[in-house]
Amino acid sequence: MLNEIQEALLKGKKTEVETLVDQALSSGLPTARILNEGLIAGMEKLGILFKNNEVFIPEVLVAARAMNAGLAKLEPYLVKEGIQPKGVVVIGTVKGDLHDIGKNLVAMMLRGAGYKIVDLGIDVPAEKFAAAAKEHQASIVGLSALLTTTMIQMKGVVEAIRAAGLRIPVVIGGAPVTREYAVEIKADGYAPDAASAVEEVGKLLGL
Amino acid sequence: MTSRELVRQSLEFFAPPRIPRQLWLLPWAEDHYPEELARIRKKFPDDILNAPASYRQPLPTSGEEYSPGIYVDEWGCVFENRQKGAMGEVKEPLLRDWRDWEAVRIPRERLSLDEDSVNDFCRAHEEFVLSRVLGRPFEQLQFIRRPDNLYLDLAAPFPEFFRLLRRMHDFYCEETELWAGTEVDGLVFMDDWGSQHSLLISPDLWRKVFKPLYRDYIDIAHRHGKYAFMHSDGQIEAILPDLIELGLDALNSQLFCMDIEELGRRFRGRLTFWGEIDRQYLLSRGTREEIREAVRRVRDAFFSHGGVIAQCEFGPGARPENIVAVFEAWEAT
Repeated sequence: MLNEIQEALLKGKKTEVETLVDQALSSGLPTARILNEGLIAGMEKLGILFKNNEVFIPEVLVAARAMNAGLAKLEPYLVKEGIQPKGVVVIGTVKGDLHDIGKNLVAMMLRGAGYKIVDLGIDVPAEKFAAAAKEHQASIVGLSALLTTTMIQMKGVVEAIRAAGLRIPVVIGGAPVTREYAVEIKADGYAPDAASAVEEVGKLLGL
Repeated sequence: MTSRELVRQSLEFFAPPRIPRQLWLLPWAEDHYPEELARIRKKFPDDILNAPASYRQPLPTSGEEYSPGIYVDEWGCVFENRQKGAMGEVKEPLLRDWRDWEAVRIPRERLSLDEDSVNDFCRAHEEFVLSRVLGRPFEQLQFIRRPDNLYLDLAAPFPEFFRLLRRMHDFYCEETELWAGTEVDGLVFMDDWGSQHSLLISPDLWRKVFKPLYRDYIDIAHRHGKYAFMHSDGQIEAILPDLIELGLDALNSQLFCMDIEELGRRFRGRLTFWGEIDRQYLLSRGTREEIREAVRRVRDAFFSHGGVIAQCEFGPGARPENIVAVFEAWEAT
């Protein structure tokens, strides 16, 4: 059953994932197993395929849509059983930048990996990142920028988060961003793509 | 030798006496560095120009494409922008439901091109002249549907997707034929096909759905004795053999997202590399020495009795001294 959920998810078959999750719940499989060994495991496989250029953005998006449908089925049970997400990720595109395709992809992959996502959207000022991180008790903050002229805002976000007294890691990404730049602005992590973002966040959180 | 002859020799691998150059300019550079830009223009004049496109019927656009605020293109796609000098983003799809695909309006005003003015421009210049950007099917579909919707569409396209794409392609072919009938030297089309590390869609899907479109554009160009030029951002190594197979003459791509030396080993002498020098790091933050080294790498990888155009883009974030460094480095090669 769990393998079937993974396979249906990898194929982006939303209705099939919903049906299989329902069946798994009815059969008495523990919610945590359906989540971790079905949905999250499927998304992990997808991440590897994406990183190896075996699937591309369309396949990732349909799989993420199927994942979300499966999660929605599980949600009441997760709440009832007190199953917590792996962590809370506050994510957004920095001030002055309206690009969000990459950021949305990263958010989907992280959600698929079992994190709770607080998506602040686009054109987000530094102070808003810090305030949201505090409010939602974030485990980590993710910043995205597409332009060389907006990536410089990331430094201000790192500073705002530190100034707010938060010691949580900050991970950055986006087309012009590099690991060297992350080091330069004292960000804690860098991810070149959505699949790597999941790995990097896990590494930074010691998971 | 005129610039036009120089570019032709490069495209034909006839050992031009120097590598032709072209600076791409975004309004940001004009806004931020007008004096420096004038000096760059004077010191390193372009060998390639773009013909101005004027139309007998006005294009139904509104707003300014490169200004903060809302810009509506001739298809009706709405762009939101907050940065002066750069292009905005589509946030709301023009086509929300594929059942309404026939409502997408083809901007036939672009077929009212004033060909005489294009020809006058070509005759008045000794530079190599390119058309405006013509076929741009993938990006325009993203503007029409919004990118995330289009990617979902591509995972399992509806018949209406193909119907709309056919209509768009027919229009692009008609427009390409029109420009091919002018005295421009080359026809330009574009679509950004790569992310930083890979193609955005699978190479198989690209070959099935989009490659035939480019085949038509390139065939039209060649049938009229024009060169075919294409731009694509991102890591597009997977489709380079296809573009060469189609007969593309010149490709502008983000070489620094790819393995330049490997590209050179595989494709030198088979296609002209129309730039570029990395704009994500080098032009904004690189040192003079790093830029010199980058130009040397591009030249060593691709020059083979031609096959290289010294192109770079002066866009948001780029420093004028680095643009100068690029062209000085090319002169020194």
